[in-house]
Amino acid sequence: MTATTTAPPSPAVTTHGPRASWTAVFALAAFEGRRLLCRVPVLVAFAVYLVWTVWRTHGAYDGHPALQDVDRATQGPPVLVGLAVLLGVHQAVLRSRRYDTDRHLSVLVVQPWRRTAAHLLSVVPVALLVAVCVGAQFAWQALKPTAVGHGSPAELLVGPLSVLLFGAFGVLLGRLLPVPLAAPLLIVSLLLFSVFASGPPGAAGWSRWLVPSVGENSFATLPSDLIGRPAAWHALYLAGLALSVALAALLFSGGARLWSVRAGAAAAVALTLVGAVGQSRGVPEETAEARVRATVAPEKTQRCVARDATVYCAFPEWEPRTGEWAAVVDDVRSLAGGGAEKRPLTVRQRIEARHGLDGDAALAASPRPGEVTVGTSWGGNRTPEFAVAVAVVLVTGREEAAGAMCDGRIVTVMWTALAGRPDPVTDLRRVRLDDSATGGAVVLSQTETLQMTAAHTEVLRALLDLPRDEAAARVKGNWAELTAPEVTTRRVAQVLGLGAPEGEDECQ
Amino acid sequence: MTPTVSASGLSLHFGRTRALDDVSLRLSPGVTGLLGPNGAGKTTLLRVLATAVPADRGAFTVLGHDPATSRGRQEARRRLGYLPQAPGFHPDFSAFEFVDYVAILKELTDRTARHREVRRVLDEVGLGDVRGKRLKKLSGGMRQRVALAAALVGDPEFVVLDEPTVGLDPEQRMRFRELIAHAGEGRTVLLSTHQTEDVAMLCHRVVVLADGTVRFDGTPAELTARAAGRVWSSTERETGAKAGWRTGTGSFRNVGDPPAGAELLAPTLEDGYLLTLDGAGAEVTA
Repeated sequence: MTATTTAPPSPAVTTHGPRASWTAVFALAAFEGRRLLCRVPVLVAFAVYLVWTVWRTHGAYDGHPALQDVDRATQGPPVLVGLAVLLGVHQAVLRSRRYDTDRHLSVLVVQPWRRTAAHLLSVVPVALLVAVCVGAQFAWQALKPTAVGHGSPAELLVGPLSVLLFGAFGVLLGRLLPVPLAAPLLIVSLLLFSVFASGPPGAAGWSRWLVPSVGENSFATLPSDLIGRPAAWHALYLAGLALSVALAALLFSGGARLWSVRAGAAAAVALTLVGAVGQSRGVPEETAEARVRATVAPEKTQRCVARDATVYCAFPEWEPRTGEWAAVVDDVRSLAGGGAEKRPLTVRQRIEARHGLDGDAALAASPRPGEVTVGTSWGGNRTPEFAVAVAVVLVTGREEAAGAMCDGRIVTVMWTALAGRPDPVTDLRRVRLDDSATGGAVVLSQTETLQMTAAHTEVLRALLDLPRDEAAARVKGNWAELTAPEVTTRRVAQVLGLGAPEGEDECQ
Repeated sequence: MTPTVSASGLSLHFGRTRALDDVSLRLSPGVTGLLGPNGAGKTTLLRVLATAVPADRGAFTVLGHDPATSRGRQEARRRLGYLPQAPGFHPDFSAFEFVDYVAILKELTDRTARHREVRRVLDEVGLGDVRGKRLKKLSGGMRQRVALAAALVGDPEFVVLDEPTVGLDPEQRMRFRELIAHAGEGRTVLLSTHQTEDVAMLCHRVVVLADGTVRFDGTPAELTARAAGRVWSSTERETGAKAGWRTGTGSFRNVGDPPAGAELLAPTLEDGYLLTLDGAGAEVTA
């Protein structure tokens, strides 16, 4: 009962051997990748991510982004996609066990460890999509003519690497603990770990760098060379960890007999350790010294340009922004009188960088005569706040005088600062702590705050209600009296030809 | 003249249970039936030949490749189609996706050619019109045909079918017989079944397995001939019969050693199968 078999040619198999096996792995990865992208958790997470990205891209940075902040802002939301990928890929790995197709699939050509490799590779398209979103988010801000600073490629890699890491965790978990509940439990465990690793608020320990996305406690914008985040080490750590977890999944699914997988796993663990050690070394000494230098003696690292009677000194990355500062200064000067409009000013960019991004610290007012502080943020409320600071120095000669000023000069300061703005009353609300346009309120500033009484506000509003040219003529014509120390609000109103204020006039 | 499958002395134990004991057989193109009672070792033999589990002892080759070696196993699997007993399904896959998935795992890597092949096998099993439907929406018979399509995709030279007609209604079973007969043209098909009708209608050869050993290996006609002169009719069940049952006419059909002068009947394949088992779970009474 024997016969020679004449095998018909197989219609679709073209090559055999390792090359065909890897081609099959990539084909399977494409198959699994398509299915992964259609999983409900992944779709929902991506939708949320995209909505957040669009919203964030349109509304953030008041139209004046600093790219060293933009890169970090791309890191958090991809974690949501990563967690959804963890769930999705874990279910995909469990599929054959859950539906009892293992018996069938185990006798097919592509071995289990190669199928694991395909599951790992199926995460790559999602990571690439996240990379595209991260790139688009960054590019959108970077292409704005108002953008300053430099982004870090390593910071931009964190989002896609997080997706790869979580995906690898999902595959490994599927091989180690093939039960559906394992993935949600792992997610809870990872979230708990991230809470504990981050430590208490303000802590800057090495452990916080063990999680993928590491936030900062400060909203301050620093020059990119003073950021001091170990971004490249962290990207290396994440890449190494993702590779380690991925290769562990291969080891647990039959790849242990391959020396290349074992060697790769050892190299990946080494890479992870190198990254972990590198990122835990803290802020380099030279960066710490540079931070101190930039804080206490910014003039040593700044370049200055003179325009008319004003010198603008900025950190190198902010030099393109001096034109916008000059426009505000010119507007304020144009409304001043009594020679103040020609008073020499120095607009100096100042930062408090000594604590890095660990916390926000207020800047002290500049003690130098004729010097106005400008920060690293711009647009939104920062622009009218700067106008107020310029007006304070034009009126008083010193920025630090603002804190002690509680007399009728505040009306002149505020009118000079705001009257040249497109919508003075809106800007008045924006600079006041409680967003009000009536009554007393604190006026915000980069350095010293001003205290406006109800009487100040009343007279200012009346002055703003006048035609601007008419108001300007009254202010300029009486500049000396309006800016005399201790002048009362009632007197200011009288000089300007306005009704006497009825509100209280006591600073708190 | 190399047979498709050549096995000698295959043995396999699960703990103290002897699943296969010194099984030797050679398979050549056409449909070979594998008959045996429950627990005879049919599924185990099929799983060994399908390279799902290795034998403890013995050796076999599939199309000249030795599955005991890693390379040989891979080469054998490239030429193998396997339909396990009560196969599982991925309910969210469409019929096309499931067969495509299996095709990828069989290293059919050219996407265009693979999709053409998937459409071909789905058409072959009569599911071309429902290939986009989710498996959870298909009937049991349709799913079984999807599984057969998955076994046939890539045009394997050796096809292992483990009780493919279990649970199917008569119409579906007839349809499946057509498909298996068609699959056996130019291929080697090993069909495990409880249905002697399947073997009688489809197979050019039959192997009977009991207690892990081969009890018969020959043609269906030879198996039927084993019962020649050993099937007779009587008005009551004969005590000497190994099996006997009342037929629709009211008389008893007995299988065993007939008494002198008994009214002999023409044997069937099932009679030969029952006599071959000879006590290995073959007692049938009614």
